[in-house]
Amino acid sequence: MEDQMKSLLRQLVRRIPTQFLKVTLEKWGRLTVAQQQNIDFTQTKWALADELIAYCEENGLALRHITELEMIYVIDNPNQGMWHAFQLVDPESDAPAVELMQFKEQFKSHFNELVRNVSVKMKKNTDEAVWIRIAWGDSCSRPNNMRPTYVVHYLQTPYVFVTRLTSKQKPLLSQAMIIATRHQAIKDAHLSGRNFSAIRDLLMQEYEQVFPAKYPSALVERSQIPALPNIEREQAEAEVNRLQMACEAFGGGNLPQLQSVVYKLETTFKDPPNQTFAEREKPFNCVVTFTSKNLLESLRHCASSGIASTPITPLLSSIPRRGRNYFVITDKVSGPPSQINQTVN
Amino acid sequence: MSLLKPFSRRPALNTATILLVEREEDFQQRLAEVLVEETAVTLNVRLAKSLPLPFKNQHSRPRIDLVVFIINLTSELSLQSAQASLKYLDPGYFLGKVCFMATNARNAAVPPERLDTLRGLAASLRCTLLFAEDQTADGASNASERLLTILKVAAGLVPMTTALYLSNLTMCTAPSNTNEADFD
Repeated sequence: MEDQMKSLLRQLVRRIPTQFLKVTLEKWGRLTVAQQQNIDFTQTKWALADELIAYCEENGLALRHITELEMIYVIDNPNQGMWHAFQLVDPESDAPAVELMQFKEQFKSHFNELVRNVSVKMKKNTDEAVWIRIAWGDSCSRPNNMRPTYVVHYLQTPYVFVTRLTSKQKPLLSQAMIIATRHQAIKDAHLSGRNFSAIRDLLMQEYEQVFPAKYPSALVERSQIPALPNIEREQAEAEVNRLQMACEAFGGGNLPQLQSVVYKLETTFKDPPNQTFAEREKPFNCVVTFTSKNLLESLRHCASSGIASTPITPLLSSIPRRGRNYFVITDKVSGPPSQINQTVN
Repeated sequence: MSLLKPFSRRPALNTATILLVEREEDFQQRLAEVLVEETAVTLNVRLAKSLPLPFKNQHSRPRIDLVVFIINLTSELSLQSAQASLKYLDPGYFLGKVCFMATNARNAAVPPERLDTLRGLAASLRCTLLFAEDQTADGASNASERLLTILKVAAGLVPMTTALYLSNLTMCTAPSNTNEADFD
């Protein structure tokens, strides 16, 4: 068995926690039932890896089978590594008609034309997502399977999610993606995070949306703390309004677990009492980062409890509305004074 | 100005009503749940974030016997919100029917000036200043016991005692300027 296969298998066994390893091996299905039952999961990872290498040699498995195992694990546990979202723009007339086989063929053929010595593996998941694993190599070396790039694309949507892509590899992937999906360009969606399901749900708006309603009773009933008969809240209506506005901006129920948002400010410093900074004309460059275990939940709570004033500022409500978590904020230099003096782009 | 007036409605038999005003709306809920467990008196608890209270509830609102401002000392806005709400109280309340309750006084992050400001405020209004511990259930029950004592007097349910008399005994005094060295 080649060295690369052995080291890849060892790396996988190290990476995958033992409780998932059992399940993943069963799903993989390349070991016989007897072998599967014989594996002792309580031994050390090194010994476990040795055992698996022996079984793979017995069964005569190749590198592509090991990468299959890795892909199964990553598809089931995608919330690792840093994911970045991209958006395809300017679809051509037959873009909505692209279906799986066509996409696969086009992508593979164009990709192999653009880059030599690359191994591409595609898999369609049950939820309409196409997972692509790319191991990059160049003209002198074989594909490096230890640091593959994973790309997820939902067919018929303009969204592409990528993890572990270097800046040199990016134009090649973009080119192949554009051609295969029949769009004209791809741009950065300014959304990134460690939790893949969160950024996917946010971008594709797969969380509960709340729409303005004249009698927002369902939301209130769900959120009301069971009240004892003698306790009464005086400002209950104001509270309900705040909750309604917060849910309209951020969504109801469980929100995608976004973990950080970054605002890059290039505005001039405005603080009348503080004279030392205020005199400068040049923009005061500053980066503001909000991090939390579940950022959207915390922002919604800030708005509903009155900490953030309602109506909610577009700086915060653009996070779910536009599906981004990186904003650059500049001052609007010239324009009628009635417009808001900050542009968000 | 929509002032909250103390004697604009008739009192009900064996009933007392307390209004808890807290900007964070956090401790007041727990305090209310402990307060209503009282069985000797029919207790009504009204919770608010700040004054003035909405006009809509004016007709259904019973006579409020005691107004308690719950101030979280770790937040400057809490104190400011309470000070702003004081303007909406009729002066009749300041004869023993207003009380301040401070939480988180032991927290090391609290600047001492804030507590001094609060004490000065309570002393200038001749009001009682209580301290409460809001993190544990024991703290909530202790605070509610003390509030109940003052509330029963303010509602007129304790014979021979009026709210004004009690407030003379319990009111906060301004921190005096004695140096600690003088005690030697």
